[in-house]
Amino acid sequence: MSFRHLRAVTRKEIFHILRDRMTLVLVLFTPTILLFIMAYAITVDIRQVPIAILDYERSAISRSLIQQITAGDDLELFSQVDSFDEIEHLLIQGEIKAALIIDPNFSSDLFSLRGLPIQIIIDGTEPQSGAYAVDHIALRAEELINIQLTRQIQALGLDLDSIQPIDLRIRTWFNPSLKPRVDLVPGLISMVLGLPALSVALTLSHEREHGTLEQLLATPISRVDLLFGKMIPYIFFGLLNVILIPLVAIAWFRIPFNGNFLLYFALSTIFLFAILGLGTIVGVFMRTQAAALALSFLVIFFPGFFLTGIFFPIASMPEIARLEALALPGTHYAIITRGVFLPGVGLDILWPYGVMLLGLGMAFIAIAALFFRKKLA
Amino acid sequence: MNSISPIILTQGLSRDFKSNRAVDRLDISIQPGELFGIVGPDGAGKTTTLRLLAGLLDISDGSAQVVGFNLKKNPESVKPKVGYMAQEFSLYAELSVLENLTFFAELYDLDKNQMRERRDSLLEFAGLTEFKQRRADKLSGGMQKKLSLACTLIHNPPLLLLDEPTTGVDPISRREFWNILTDLHLHGTTILISTPYMDEADRCTRVGLMYQGRLVECAPPHEIRANLKGELVEITPSDWKQALQLLEDLPGIIAIQTYGESLHILVNSVDEQLPEIKNVLHKHDIKYQNVRQTSARMEEAFISLIRQIEA
Repeated sequence: MSFRHLRAVTRKEIFHILRDRMTLVLVLFTPTILLFIMAYAITVDIRQVPIAILDYERSAISRSLIQQITAGDDLELFSQVDSFDEIEHLLIQGEIKAALIIDPNFSSDLFSLRGLPIQIIIDGTEPQSGAYAVDHIALRAEELINIQLTRQIQALGLDLDSIQPIDLRIRTWFNPSLKPRVDLVPGLISMVLGLPALSVALTLSHEREHGTLEQLLATPISRVDLLFGKMIPYIFFGLLNVILIPLVAIAWFRIPFNGNFLLYFALSTIFLFAILGLGTIVGVFMRTQAAALALSFLVIFFPGFFLTGIFFPIASMPEIARLEALALPGTHYAIITRGVFLPGVGLDILWPYGVMLLGLGMAFIAIAALFFRKKLA
Repeated sequence: MNSISPIILTQGLSRDFKSNRAVDRLDISIQPGELFGIVGPDGAGKTTTLRLLAGLLDISDGSAQVVGFNLKKNPESVKPKVGYMAQEFSLYAELSVLENLTFFAELYDLDKNQMRERRDSLLEFAGLTEFKQRRADKLSGGMQKKLSLACTLIHNPPLLLLDEPTTGVDPISRREFWNILTDLHLHGTTILISTPYMDEADRCTRVGLMYQGRLVECAPPHEIRANLKGELVEITPSDWKQALQLLEDLPGIIAIQTYGESLHILVNSVDEQLPEIKNVLHKHDIKYQNVRQTSARMEEAFISLIRQIEA
């Protein structure tokens, strides 16, 4: 180890980043851009699903059901139709995503407590919108039933409280309104902050492709100085993103940041060290930038997507995938970001993940240094 | 040769790539202070040899001693003593001339004062002083080569390994580059240079000819020229294309090269082949003039050697 060699490589690399506009943009802004793209692409807010209604009863009660259903902006009444054929036609045309059919005996069945005779048809090619329509129609129908039953009970002169033995109230902590982005964005942060790993993987193969590595290998620099010297600038630029990204999350996505920022910053530094170690391994093994890019996606981003528990719970994965997830820095860091943002937990809970990241980082660097040889072939 | 121990000594040095042997049982002994040129056709193994000697490739077989160290055991000990210049431009494009020099000065552990002194004198030496703030990728090809050489020289290495440093450089820059090399040579630096140019080979104290990974000839340029089998005739025919076709397969003719409108014909013996040449040209109504015997140059010597090996 030589401090001067380390500093020389670090400085050279910083000059390179600052003077190459593409690299600068890649390093500074792609995490933010990716955060926006993923946050909006993955959490599509479904609103105003168009539906058709076929009302066979046409009573006051059925009309109040229709009114109840179309009162909010979640469902939009595209048209009220007179026959089943019309529903089929509209579904095929794609004009509606779901249709509600109200039975001729709707009110009598309702009042005699025989059930709720309605039928919902959904477009199976778009199950998300369909399921959404079913949920919301059911919700509104329940409300209607409640209102109607309450009226009946009161008409019978009974006390409402005495006949409701179970009062089930579900409360969601940390994300009370269950907004999907509030849950998703802290997890996504762990993914987009992995992007500097891509840059560090590319920088080694960039030197190989441009022949500058040949000159560098002919000097007395040690392997560790060379690899660390190349990593340090990307840790630095990564930390700029560690500050920038939460600001975007708080200011734009309205994600509450309940934890300690310094703790988050410190753990993020360790995460960057680990993920850049992984990127360095990619750079050590790949000869060209194209290959380094492809492998980065294969070992860093795709597993980051599927295995780190951001979208799919790790507990439900097969054992081999769970083991692989343990070896990915993103898995541990996702727990950290989610913990720091929403419940605002501290080091007493997060320290094992920090230790894991530190261990992974050191293992990755050791592997990279072991396989990186000062030879051209 | 003499009692000083060689600065480069290889014995059976070989390097295999997947399917071919790029360098094949190379035995070279280079004394301190030599200006040694490696010539040979493309793919002969020149670059691989230089990379091996710079410690950039693993040795497949044989051994090499460079600046007193066993290259196989201590490749890293060799590096501070060697200045290696790769064939392709391999400096940092987005760094300035000065920043490139500083970068390499730090990697070679020059202290602050040494660095400043060395940098200034090399900029002066390479004629780059007024361009020192310019980015390396904004330099002309010739200036880039000189900057590469300056970076290679930053730590004052006793041994220089230069891989085709003047390829793709204009003649004036080439001459300047060679003035620098001559200067270094006169100050006692040992230089091993590969080159595709025969006039450059002529300027070396010794030349090694590589062919298919092997060193097939190794001697001072004048000896190589003197050993040339055959004699050289210059002739200017009225239709050189047809003349070339007719003469090529004539017995006793080793090689023909075109120089403008004239042909340089390498023959076994002028007395025997010249009448035959004239005869053939007469027969096909090709006029000719300026027939004269000239002295062979490295180029002819080189081609004739290759022909001999191939035959």
